[in-house]
Amino acid sequence: MPEHDGLMRVFWPVDIARSDLPGVIVGWRNSGSDFVVVTVLDHVDPKSVENALKTDILLRNAPHSRPRIFEICGQSSMHVLGLINATPNIEYDPSWVRATTNAADRVPILTCPKASSIQIILFERPIPLRMQYISLDPIVLSLADKDDTSLYSVYDGAKAEGERLDKKNKEKNVELVEKRTGHMVLKHAPSKKNRALARIVNQINWTWELEHLLQKNVALIGTRPKRTLSVSERVVEHATTMRDHVILWVWDMIVLYAFPIIRTAFVFALLAHRLAAEVLLLILEWRARPNSPALKDISATAQQVEIRLQQFCYWPMQYVKLRLRKNDWESVTTSHPDYIRFYNSLWLVANDVIIGIALGSYIIDNADWVADTINMLLGQYTINALQSSISWLMGWPAGLKLNSELALFLGDLFLWVIDYWASCIQKLQPLLPRIVWFIGFSSFAGASLPIALFSDLLSMLTVHIYSFYLASARIFHWQLTILLSLFQLFQGKKYNVLRNRVDSCDYDLDQLLVGTILFTLLFFLLPTVIVFYLNFALARMVIITFKAVFDTMLSCLNHFPLFALMLRTKDPRRLPGGIRFELRDTQNRHIINPKATTHFQSPTSVIILKPTPLKFRAMFHQYFQMGSRIRKHYLSPRVLFCLVTGRFVPPIHRQNLYSLQYSMLPARRAGIMEMWEALNSLPAKKRPVKLHPYGVTTNVNMNGRRHMNGRTTREL
Amino acid sequence: MLTTAPYLRTRGAPDAREFIISTLPPLTIPLRIALYTLHLLRVVLGLGVLLLLYSIWTLSPYGSPPPPATGYRITSERSTCPAYTSTSSLPLPSKAQIQDFLAAALSSVPGRLCTHIAKAAPAWILVPAAVAWLYTLTLRIHTEERLLVLRGLGVQASSTKDTLLGGGATTRFIPADKIQDVVINEAFRGFRPISYLVVVVEGEADVVVVFPKLLPHKRVVEQVWRGVKDCLYERPRGRNWALDADGKV
Repeated sequence: MPEHDGLMRVFWPVDIARSDLPGVIVGWRNSGSDFVVVTVLDHVDPKSVENALKTDILLRNAPHSRPRIFEICGQSSMHVLGLINATPNIEYDPSWVRATTNAADRVPILTCPKASSIQIILFERPIPLRMQYISLDPIVLSLADKDDTSLYSVYDGAKAEGERLDKKNKEKNVELVEKRTGHMVLKHAPSKKNRALARIVNQINWTWELEHLLQKNVALIGTRPKRTLSVSERVVEHATTMRDHVILWVWDMIVLYAFPIIRTAFVFALLAHRLAAEVLLLILEWRARPNSPALKDISATAQQVEIRLQQFCYWPMQYVKLRLRKNDWESVTTSHPDYIRFYNSLWLVANDVIIGIALGSYIIDNADWVADTINMLLGQYTINALQSSISWLMGWPAGLKLNSELALFLGDLFLWVIDYWASCIQKLQPLLPRIVWFIGFSSFAGASLPIALFSDLLSMLTVHIYSFYLASARIFHWQLTILLSLFQLFQGKKYNVLRNRVDSCDYDLDQLLVGTILFTLLFFLLPTVIVFYLNFALARMVIITFKAVFDTMLSCLNHFPLFALMLRTKDPRRLPGGIRFELRDTQNRHIINPKATTHFQSPTSVIILKPTPLKFRAMFHQYFQMGSRIRKHYLSPRVLFCLVTGRFVPPIHRQNLYSLQYSMLPARRAGIMEMWEALNSLPAKKRPVKLHPYGVTTNVNMNGRRHMNGRTTREL
Repeated sequence: MLTTAPYLRTRGAPDAREFIISTLPPLTIPLRIALYTLHLLRVVLGLGVLLLLYSIWTLSPYGSPPPPATGYRITSERSTCPAYTSTSSLPLPSKAQIQDFLAAALSSVPGRLCTHIAKAAPAWILVPAAVAWLYTLTLRIHTEERLLVLRGLGVQASSTKDTLLGGGATTRFIPADKIQDVVINEAFRGFRPISYLVVVVEGEADVVVVFPKLLPHKRVVEQVWRGVKDCLYERPRGRNWALDADGKV
């Protein structure tokens, strides 16, 4: 699309060195009037700069491949964009911009004869060495390479209805969006400038690194005197850098001989570890039938061990990926989320172990006391409290006149089972300190493990409550169903299974009589059953709440975005959440600089581009998702209906709950061979030829010479 | 007096225009003075609430008992925290100094009033009330919502946050190639129909509502809409968005 208007857009880095010297502006030309300034080269001839850019002289000594720059920045070469503080008599291209800077203002004054109006967009360069970058879209902290649905593909007999509803909603949304597209009256073809933004963002990310490279190479084209050091200066330099030479030489020897051995040993250790992990994982994931739950679906401990093993399997792969980053330009930003993820999980595990050691030593020191407390709690709450509540129900609770005989029968039944259970617990009691000791010992592998073990212990030691709940719910549900069908009979109606509706039906007198009598009987017995059912349902809910607390603790220990939070406070530019623009008032600029307006000046608007840091809400996005999932599962009318009718409330699927934790892991773990290949593909450690590609600019030359010397000494 | 009905103001060049809808009236000197006094009042009230919270804390069984008379305090400092006396040369206030200051605050007139209130009412009523009061003290008085339109770059909608603590404004920048269209939509809100400006974003299910809090009048919305069209797209020859009186394209 040809550009109708002469709007010129210049992206100008505010933090490049400012001087009043004449210079050449170098940068990317995305179109005739869309410039991204990379740097300003002082005291050079624009023609020679243009030639040097064409022949890549200015990109010499690049630490990494040069085509990569042009590939990511989307242009085939950089160009001379204009002149800065130029003397008026110099001849120049009409498409060039002329900039003048003054000390008072950070913003240069731009003029261009071709442009009718100018947008200067000022930005502060992100520093790639500190892993800062800007991006249009917020950084994604979780691995998003898998479908959510793949998680529940197996063992979802009780797949939540909510999921299906979600899917339906999504489909409806897609349909609506399509409809909306159809309603658009006029389609604006995006102009070249509109489409360039994504490319420009990359170019901005590259500015810092390219500027340093260009400034380093500017001596190659300039007329600056190149002076070699005199003999005496060399002697002085040698003397001052002697210590460094020796250290460098020792380091070089280590890299050359000791490193490969250490490395091979490490790789083999990793592989052995990976093999062991594979075996354990196979056990944890083994299913008797495709639909039966695996060990990790049942037990929190197994799940926790599985997560840790998966992490151990994933770390080498992540590390390899991050190591390969070193072989590329710093400005390539694609692996920064991986970096954050890797160190987040490392840090979390380290934290986990630290907390675990504190917790473990406490538990081991006080094993007897902990065991006694657990025993006391168990006796008091899961046995005594239950017994007393049952005996209370067997009398007339709260003045409610229940059916004494049925209450006595049910109460005796439950009391009898409780007695038996109590004797089992009694047998367990001497073992308890050992178990607690074991749990305490396990916590040296991380605080999450004892928590998971306690969670499992809780479900094991309250298995009687679970079974009481199941039994009473079954009785209640059975009675309720019979009552409903008898109520139909009482009305002279009948449920027609074939047509799935209620038909009227002619009953005989004796049928009606017996039915009515049964209905009355069951109806009067119902309150007794309800009371028992409620008692156990309540106990069950309390246990579920406890387990939810344990699960929350686990998910906090395993997934908390600690590293991201730290980065957010330390350097928000490392967690880009998009960009924003600010319009600066420009009215008084022309008044202040009356001299600049002597020649033609087009109206200029000054815009500041700023990165926005990632929102805290986005960091905890996974937690919100999990919260909403739990809420949908447990606080839905369906669950209430199940509770009221005595149907079994299915517990939320572990996988569903733990999708949070798996969001940091790939859907499929890398195989052993894959890992072997990846580890071997790692480049050998570089010998220390270039320690600091961007050393402090003043002693760049010194560095280069020192390394040269280092090499010659070694060869001798 | 401090706020007005939302009104529109624009600034910037034709290729980079900002539409600002704000409830802050033009700043005159009396208004400035009123606003400064209000902020001062907020700070004072906030400190008072904090003092109340502290007095509740000292009265609770978890907190330290209210600092006793001066003579006793000196002996206790010497005996319990000798480490702090050595660091008193540092510019940071020592623990003893902080305690002294808190004790002085508690024994002042407002401090005694706070203690009186804390004794009179139970903590479970006072603490949530104090927290809610602190929250209301940080609420913003004015709302300001902006729409920045940059030709060739895109549009950016921003609106101020509810509280002063939340920082500046929430912004949302939509690149120009993602903008499907900018339209005026109509909807029911309560029992009255409203018109609001909407940016339809490509590939997103939800549209972006511009000026979501203030929801200005239809006249204003239309004006902004014309401005956006004018600024965002290069005007085809012989066509003027602003002259399309019936609002159709």
